[in-house]
Amino acid sequence: MRIALAGNPNSGKTTLFNAITGRIEHVGNWPGVTVAKKEGDVKRELNRTGSTIRAVDLPGAYSISPFTSEECITSNFIRDEDPDVIINIVDAASLRRSLFFTTQLLELGIPVVIALNKIDQVKRKGITINTDKLAEKLKCKVIETSSTRKKGLAELIAAAAEVRGKGQEAPFSSPAGLDDTDRAGVEAADRERFAFVDKLVEEVEVRKIDSSRLTIQDAVDRIVAHKIWGIPIFAVVIFAVFSISQVWLGPLLADYFVGWIDGLYAYVEGLLGDGVSPLLSALLLDGIIGGVGAVVGFLPLIMVMFFLLALLEDCGYMARVAVVMDRYLKKVGLSGRSIIPMILGTGCAIPGVMATRTIRDPRQRRTTAMLTPFMPCGAKLPVIALFAGVFFKDAAWVGTTMYFMGIAIVIVGALIIRRIVRESPVRSFFIMELPEYRLPSIKRAFISMMSRAKAFIIKAGTIILVCNALVHIMQAFTWSFQPVEEGMQSTSILATLATPFAVLLIPLGFGAWQLAAAALTGFIAKENVVGTLAVVYSISNFIDTEEFVLVSGAGDVAAVLGLTSVSALAYLMFNLFTPPCFAAIGAMNAEMGSRKWLWAAIGFQFGMGYTVAYLVYQIGTLITTGSFGNAVIPGFLAVAFFIGLLIHLMHRKEQRASAGVKEVA
Amino acid sequence: MELAITNLLFNRKAKNRKLDAVKQQNLTHAKVNCTYNIRGIDTEDKCMKDFLFTLGCFEGEKVTVISVLADNYIIHVKDARYSIDKELARAILI
Repeated sequence: MRIALAGNPNSGKTTLFNAITGRIEHVGNWPGVTVAKKEGDVKRELNRTGSTIRAVDLPGAYSISPFTSEECITSNFIRDEDPDVIINIVDAASLRRSLFFTTQLLELGIPVVIALNKIDQVKRKGITINTDKLAEKLKCKVIETSSTRKKGLAELIAAAAEVRGKGQEAPFSSPAGLDDTDRAGVEAADRERFAFVDKLVEEVEVRKIDSSRLTIQDAVDRIVAHKIWGIPIFAVVIFAVFSISQVWLGPLLADYFVGWIDGLYAYVEGLLGDGVSPLLSALLLDGIIGGVGAVVGFLPLIMVMFFLLALLEDCGYMARVAVVMDRYLKKVGLSGRSIIPMILGTGCAIPGVMATRTIRDPRQRRTTAMLTPFMPCGAKLPVIALFAGVFFKDAAWVGTTMYFMGIAIVIVGALIIRRIVRESPVRSFFIMELPEYRLPSIKRAFISMMSRAKAFIIKAGTIILVCNALVHIMQAFTWSFQPVEEGMQSTSILATLATPFAVLLIPLGFGAWQLAAAALTGFIAKENVVGTLAVVYSISNFIDTEEFVLVSGAGDVAAVLGLTSVSALAYLMFNLFTPPCFAAIGAMNAEMGSRKWLWAAIGFQFGMGYTVAYLVYQIGTLITTGSFGNAVIPGFLAVAFFIGLLIHLMHRKEQRASAGVKEVA
Repeated sequence: MELAITNLLFNRKAKNRKLDAVKQQNLTHAKVNCTYNIRGIDTEDKCMKDFLFTLGCFEGEKVTVISVLADNYIIHVKDARYSIDKELARAILI
């Protein structure tokens, strides 16, 4: 038996889905988080039927006639895939709006059960709903639920199982034989539908407070989403997130954690003893445990960060950030919806890029897919944390700056792309339901954090482990498969492969082949930058750098890497703002649906990363030492070529546009 | 005669201007926390109109502007709150 979960955006479908199936799909206290359908089996303890019930979570829709692509997925599924029962999730606080969709669902003949969700919130607001009367009027079962508190779920599933195969009577039907293309007719019918709903709500609902008045929530909104203060407040919030995760709480936890990894290293070392070939033990110890350990060492920092971001999302703040950012994105020719992919992109670029699907205009959609990977994702956090820790004494401003640098690049990038690609005539508009602020749930944030941590560990144990092993082998052997001799590191496979790339990076202040190799492996997964640095420099502990100094006696990590603070910053930015990992590029390919756009995007991302790193290194070096850094002229030529190409493309568009005007005239 | 014609012309102009003013009265002119009746949706974009319709935002319905945040208008329609941009606010005539 299959049940479809359908309802308005932000009515809590995915939370309900997670509660009844035990899955952990990403939820946010704001609309538009789900863009594709998701399936899962209902948990045994809720399902008393004895047979499996499959639940399908659908993206939010306001009506059965599709106006957005998410609504398309929903209405296509309900119409074509013939679910046995529809559970219509209704936000009890906005019956007047929600029941419009409900009456449409009731017309399909598929049995419907209404989950009157967020019932606890409604009661607090002084709204009373006569559930029995509502059920009677709508001719279907109505179950009061609270998916966040897991109330009414077993009843809901039982009700769904009971009505299966019974058919559905419609309380309101649009006139028979109404043609979809008859606009006036459809509109008249829908007006009647709304009138029917209004009358129904009058009968079943009593409101003590007029909700169209200004509340404390609105007062808070006026501050956090203020025209001028909105951005500084967001900056302070992000700074706080970095301070807590990278300076206060994160390192504290990381210290313990790294202690265990060091313990494991010592244990395995003891276990191997002297009998094992030194090459094999080096591979196991320095390549695998050292490399993966260096990445995993950052796990506590990242978990704290994900936890805080989940709290922010859950309390409703992120929706306000979307409102604040909307005006800036509008000004640079993006859609207001572009902010949603970008905020999701701070977790991982792949769901971020996938969320661009909700943008109607192809130019805006592709531009957003191209720019979303500039937002620092979870995989880039270890890289940021490493450089902030080693070069900047764990300063929280490093991470915060990288966030706002990402936003700035997005804005500049959007401006450039708008001037290259012709704008389509479609006017975009932005509408978003503002969710209510609520006390964020520690439990939900914890679950979200654990699921991300799990994904991180799986990645570290698979892709990153294999990469580190390969990197270790490649740096330990020459092309003739002889072990690299002491002092002859530049003859290794890895060195000879990376050196040509390293030459290109000299103008950016980091021409060492080791750094180039790390940046290259970063395209497989960004965490690899940390892993590879650990392997090639034989450093397994980036967290507790003081201890490292004692062990190696070679000064500090900064000295080993041979980077100044300025070139370290340039290297960090190069890794953050060049193309994302291959998986994210794959997602870009899928959403853009155009090879030309994909290659242009990759080229643009490379050019942007190179230019930013070049400017940071050269200008920073000029300020700190009084003269330019290495190879300023060749670097300048490369950057000038990139900028010249962009200007040429912009110019070409203008010419074409003016030619177009002449043709029309 | 001349005067009459001028008068007629002038009045007509004045009348027209008045009509224009009424026509242009949209949500961006709304006072915060006052409830208005929606007089119509003025847009070329059929999709936008249909979409607003599904939210219950069409002529005859009541709308309240709760606050103006950045360039967005927080409106209250059918017991639900939305943040809409200026473009949309301009299209909703009151």
